[in-house]
Amino acid sequence: MNSQIRPKRNFRLRRFIPLYIMAIPGLAYLLINNYLPMFGLTIAFKDVNYAKGIWASDWIGFKNFEYLFKTTDAYIITRNTLLYNVVFIVLGLAIAIAIAILLNEIHRRLAQRFYQSVIILPHLISIILVSYLVYAVLSPETGLMNKTILPMLGVEPISWYLEPKYWPYILVIVHIWKGAGYSCIVFLAAIIGIDREYYEAAKLDGASKWMQIRKITLPMISPIITMLTLLGIGRIFYSDFGLFYQVPMNSGALYDTTNVIDTYVFRGLMQLGDVGMSAAAGFYQSLVGFVLVIASNYIVRKIDKDNALF
Amino acid sequence: MKKVARGTSLWLICFMLVLSACGNGNNGGSESPGSSAPANSSASGESGEKPSSGKIEELTVAFPVVTADQHGLQMVQDEINKIAEAKIQARVKFVPVNAGEWLQRTNLMFSSNEKLDLTYVHGGMYSNMVAKGMLAPLDDLIVQYGGGISASMDAKYLNATRINGKAYSVPSVRDMAGSYGLVMRKDLVDKYGIDVNAIKTLDDVGNVLKQIKENEPGVVPLVPGASGQSFRDSYIFFDPLGDFMGVLPNYDNGLKVVNMFEMPEYQDFVKRIRDWYQAGYILKDAATNKVATFELIRSGKAFAYTAMQKPGFAAQESKSSGTEMVAVELLPPVSTTTNITAAMWGIPVQSQLQDKAMQFLNLMYEDKDIVNLFDWGVEGTHYVKADGSDNIIQYPEGKDASSVGYSSLAWMFGNQFLSRIMKNNDPEIWEKTKQFNNVATSSKALGFLFDSSEVKTEYAAVSNVITQYKLPLETGSVDPDKQLPDLIAKLKAAGIDKIIAEKQKQLDEWAKVNGVN
Repeated sequence: MNSQIRPKRNFRLRRFIPLYIMAIPGLAYLLINNYLPMFGLTIAFKDVNYAKGIWASDWIGFKNFEYLFKTTDAYIITRNTLLYNVVFIVLGLAIAIAIAILLNEIHRRLAQRFYQSVIILPHLISIILVSYLVYAVLSPETGLMNKTILPMLGVEPISWYLEPKYWPYILVIVHIWKGAGYSCIVFLAAIIGIDREYYEAAKLDGASKWMQIRKITLPMISPIITMLTLLGIGRIFYSDFGLFYQVPMNSGALYDTTNVIDTYVFRGLMQLGDVGMSAAAGFYQSLVGFVLVIASNYIVRKIDKDNALF
Repeated sequence: MKKVARGTSLWLICFMLVLSACGNGNNGGSESPGSSAPANSSASGESGEKPSSGKIEELTVAFPVVTADQHGLQMVQDEINKIAEAKIQARVKFVPVNAGEWLQRTNLMFSSNEKLDLTYVHGGMYSNMVAKGMLAPLDDLIVQYGGGISASMDAKYLNATRINGKAYSVPSVRDMAGSYGLVMRKDLVDKYGIDVNAIKTLDDVGNVLKQIKENEPGVVPLVPGASGQSFRDSYIFFDPLGDFMGVLPNYDNGLKVVNMFEMPEYQDFVKRIRDWYQAGYILKDAATNKVATFELIRSGKAFAYTAMQKPGFAAQESKSSGTEMVAVELLPPVSTTTNITAAMWGIPVQSQLQDKAMQFLNLMYEDKDIVNLFDWGVEGTHYVKADGSDNIIQYPEGKDASSVGYSSLAWMFGNQFLSRIMKNNDPEIWEKTKQFNNVATSSKALGFLFDSSEVKTEYAAVSNVITQYKLPLETGSVDPDKQLPDLIAKLKAAGIDKIIAEKQKQLDEWAKVNGVN
């Protein structure tokens, strides 16, 4: 028995060696860029003094983390970060899937390619340009809203950059507009891979389009949905800095609804320039993300073993 | 497959551990030369003193720039090196950094231990940099190599940079005080016969703005001095003590630090600005405006703005905005630590060439050719002498400020009083500036620098609160009756009282040590 297994393993290894070799650049990059810098995590616990050098600086325990929790803003920034990310994940996924399904229905290849390119275009625009596009729409005196649309509806012009309550909606719309095209590609690829026979069988049985989507498409791409959701949860404490800092034009009046952990750290440390405190913020974000990913993966594994990430 | 996966991951972990140990060792190794250098140079008279036929050292010099044109700067660097190599056996290599990212780049250059021998130091960052040990103490170096520096400025200006008795940077010589006032478009001033000499108080300013508002519908009477600034930034009637968190009213107040936002004068000021905003005198989106003030003036959209002034200010502003401007002072000139520390030079602690760096810095204070190379560029290419005088210059035939290919922030480089003067400017500008400096009242706390390392947490929190309320409140965009109490409550919750108490403690200690009462 043993002699039969050993050659099998060698044979398998030899077949896979080209694949391993192909993976080496990626692995090397991962190692150098993601794993090696990990010992920099110690900076979060140090009072960095350049005269002593970073490694010989004093340890100060958790003091660098205090500014993230001690202030009244701590609740606001954590709440904002979490809520925005939850909405982005849920809504983003739903809309990306919807767009992918719709794109899949287009039978003329040229038209499909054209629409796909147009939809992905916003993703390629820098967020700074996007913030000026938003400004062109929301500017108090010359913006599209205040000059054209609101008067048409008979509503008084609104000072958009001074009213925090509209911004959750504005930021969600901008984010989805920018990101949907990119995420829908993943789903489109998965949907194309679904065997046509299922749909034909369903049509024969008299299923409506909507029922086909619900019973065939969605379940078939559920592994991808789960994977992307888990990855999204892993980044739940991170935010797109450009979106939350540039698009609201860094307007102080909007902080209550647009301040997230990343922008808070940036604004707080601009004057101080304290490397230890910024490292502490990054550490906090990644630690929470890590714990949440492990926890959600565990839950998913309990529900449906195949869908779990690991 | 599972076994292979486990084996591979074990390999990866081992690999990573080995590499991190190597990395640790390397970094530990490279740290020691860095940390031993200051020990070597402060016991001055070390190997820096090579015989004049020794090799030419290269100094890396970093400073902020606002234009992207590097070609002109390269020519200037070559010319400066001709002089520097002859005089001090050293050449310089410039590292120009975009002014907008100066703070980040500085932190990056220091944390990655890049080779850096001489750097511009921004006043707002100064005490933090010293607290973190980024700058080398300069006293011995100045005594040995900095004769030109001490000769070019009053001792009180150099003393203003002392922290715990040691000077870690040297201010550039320029206008060391500021007066705050209004800058207006000359054409509209003439059109409505506005008597600039009659504008003395904010009430007078209000009347002028009213006149413009009523008669010029397309023009915004008042805009902030720069995008991202509020009106309070350019109308200061107290010593900001570095960061506006705890200030000294009237530059004196018996050296008692006060919360600026609770000052009655502040509240009146903010209310007045709000009235002006509601009357339509102020730019509607002043709080978020990103368009440069010069652009607003140049395009004819704005009439006036508030700014910190000095001799020759009107001429300078006219040149920048391409429109003739006239300036009127509303507050007399005062000199605070912030004025002095606005532009300084320091030597990073990791520099191996501290002696040479100080020698070059000294050249910036006493060598007229080097100063003019920095300020105006290469003679013949970027400027030519005019009127047969050595001091007056003009742009070469057919060129002007934007096409000549070189521009710089002249107030940064060493001794500005050695700089030549552009043809249509006041030839007596430097005498007037010296006079301005002498006449200015000095704040009682001149020379006091606050070290915020004890209150880092509160500082970050208060910074956030201030950024949130500052622009909307101080440009009149929101109602102060509602927002100001909110702001004060939030500041207290963020810990501003702790910062003020710490500042008061440091100020009292500083006063005792320096014999100020």
